[in-house]
Amino acid sequence: MSEHNSTEVTRRAALRGTAVFAGGLYTALNMPRPLALAAMENSSAVLLTATQWPTVEAITARIIPTDHQGGAKEANCVNFIDKALANEDSASAPDFRFGLSALDLLCSEVHGRPFAELSPEQQDSTLASLESGSAKPWPAGGVTAASFFELVRVMTIMGFMADPDYGGNKEMIGWQVARYPGPRHHQGGYTPAQMLGEEPITTLWGEEM
Amino acid sequence: MKKKIFDVCVIGTGAGGGVVIDQLTAAGFSVVALERGPYLPTSEFDDDELRNGVRDLVFSANQQESFYDASTGETTQGSFSRISHCVGGTITHWDGMSWRFRPDEFRVLSTEGAVAGASLADWPISYEDMAPFYEKAEWDFGISGSAGAHITEGPRQKGYPNPPHPYRTASTRIANGARAMGYKPFPIPLAINSKAHGGRPECMRGGSCRAYGCPIHAKATTYAISLPRAASTGKLDLRADAMVFELPQKNGRVTGARYLDARGDAHEVLAKHVICAAGTIGTPHLMLQSGSSEGLGNSSGLVGKNLQFHHFPSAVAVFDEDMRGYTGFEGHVAFDDLHPSDARRGFIRGGVVIEANIFSHQPIMHSLALAGEGQTWGAGLKEHMRNFSRTVHFAGICEELPMESNRVELDPTLKDRFGLPLPRITKTNHPNDIAMSIWYEKQLAEVARAAGASKVMSPSIVGLDIKLDTPVTGAEHNHGTCRMGNDPEKSVLDKWCRSHEVPNFWVADGSVMPTNGGYNPTLTILANAYRVSDYFIRESARQSL
Repeated sequence: MSEHNSTEVTRRAALRGTAVFAGGLYTALNMPRPLALAAMENSSAVLLTATQWPTVEAITARIIPTDHQGGAKEANCVNFIDKALANEDSASAPDFRFGLSALDLLCSEVHGRPFAELSPEQQDSTLASLESGSAKPWPAGGVTAASFFELVRVMTIMGFMADPDYGGNKEMIGWQVARYPGPRHHQGGYTPAQMLGEEPITTLWGEEM
Repeated sequence: MKKKIFDVCVIGTGAGGGVVIDQLTAAGFSVVALERGPYLPTSEFDDDELRNGVRDLVFSANQQESFYDASTGETTQGSFSRISHCVGGTITHWDGMSWRFRPDEFRVLSTEGAVAGASLADWPISYEDMAPFYEKAEWDFGISGSAGAHITEGPRQKGYPNPPHPYRTASTRIANGARAMGYKPFPIPLAINSKAHGGRPECMRGGSCRAYGCPIHAKATTYAISLPRAASTGKLDLRADAMVFELPQKNGRVTGARYLDARGDAHEVLAKHVICAAGTIGTPHLMLQSGSSEGLGNSSGLVGKNLQFHHFPSAVAVFDEDMRGYTGFEGHVAFDDLHPSDARRGFIRGGVVIEANIFSHQPIMHSLALAGEGQTWGAGLKEHMRNFSRTVHFAGICEELPMESNRVELDPTLKDRFGLPLPRITKTNHPNDIAMSIWYEKQLAEVARAAGASKVMSPSIVGLDIKLDTPVTGAEHNHGTCRMGNDPEKSVLDKWCRSHEVPNFWVADGSVMPTNGGYNPTLTILANAYRVSDYFIRESARQSL
């Protein structure tokens, strides 16, 4: 966390999050909800291929790593991404496919092994090269390495923190990491004493906090 | 059969349009209301962060704008303003902060004098002209607040209809920090029921107001208040999914409106008067599509010019315990001590400071938007996620200097789903406002430290960086593109928000505001719509408009 004296750096870092939504990289389509939610019930792949699935899972596991609490792997973020690309985020599916095949090429040329079989250190340095745009080889004619990384990063975070109905955030792992008790519109909200921490709040997973 | 001629056609059903529809139908006028978005049943008003706060699919699914960067010539397509396209408009997903502008905010030019590069102007009306309509809006919309606690406010005749809401832990910390700096914190006036009012229930403080619809209508909206009341008169013909694309004219008057329905089929309605309330972007967009090449009522050349947002300099403070920021509303507490203009600070104007958990009250936006250096992925990101419940965000709502070069135009190439030109936004920042934002962030960081925060970030999340870095969303406060004034060469509308040129064309939304004040603008839009309606009704009786 940057202190106040590095305002400019922090500002740019903070903007990266919001810029995604305005810059056209993350494209949302208005798909009817029942379609997407029906798909969520199926945890097998609907869009990703059998070889893409473990690659995406491995990328997400480095974006939100597992420590004493679950990470993206345990939260099943890859399942969220698979369903989102088939529904609300279908406009991003071509970029996603291009990026995955470019990553395959890169890992094959540099390491001789697919991404999912690299060591965590190799995976991190590969992702860092994507993020900085220095990844080579990266074919022209499609999404840039940096944009592909940003797309996966944003979708991983959404999969970790969105409602479990969307296929990620399994067992509310993301909300437990954040200490977010869950949405409350239809659970009666909060009392004034709960708002001040004078009374505990029962989370959606049954913990008092 | 002869086609029906309505007394009034109102375009848009948000804060401005909803009030006009309510007031005119109550006075007996027949009104046809055209809303470009769909009617959303209350069952759509859930608190799913992905669908509402992040993807913005509920209220603005089809909204498209373009952003033009004059320095590079590049155009980006997207949804920048987060305006709602639905019955009830943007006020449907507002956070309810309901301020009266201060008296000096109606006369910025005469208070400050001319400023190079800025198009400062006085409003053609004063705070005293607006005060009775602020009161009307406060009582119709059931504002909860503590009258007299906001000591820099202009004079008021009446208190608020509801008592203030309770604070959450975060609010008490900000209040403590503000007091330690010598400031005077007070509860934000909110259009959210702290007690049952107007047939709507007390709020349950569930934590999702801004960017969400209220499932129990404890939050005051035109959807819940004005439109049902208008419908009950039998005088309202409300048409959703009606995208107006032209205002036809005959003999110097508008004759009604032409619109496309959801299938793209064209329709026309006839009306004696047209009151446009399509918003600061939508209203000039429609005027520029209508009439001759220069657009409807645009001899001044100012339709679409002087687009203003707000600057939101902010502090993100991390504490050592749960701040309960996910409970309650967007914000509960404010202080207004930094607001009065003082050129010795290196800039003029200012704004109120509010607790504003824009990104820190729900976990996806917190994780995406507030990550600092080294926190975008990996262990740093996870640590940032763990800070969610301990993070507090507060911000200035800072008045922006108007600039004629900031504008809404018709995009020359990009089209919407109907083939209509997209509204194209051009926006840069005045040096005054950059200096103001940097100064405010320093002061807010001081308050955060005085409040006991262990870490403080100053992310300049919205507004300021539209030009400096990349177009960012957050321009949801927008104003000024059809400014009212007394001089037809320097304004689009007269003091009653009636076109200087087309006598039966009126505007009643944020676009009429010559300057933007240092407060959330919605109560001013509501009050002005009551004022315009009042004049319309009185003049109709007097001179049969």
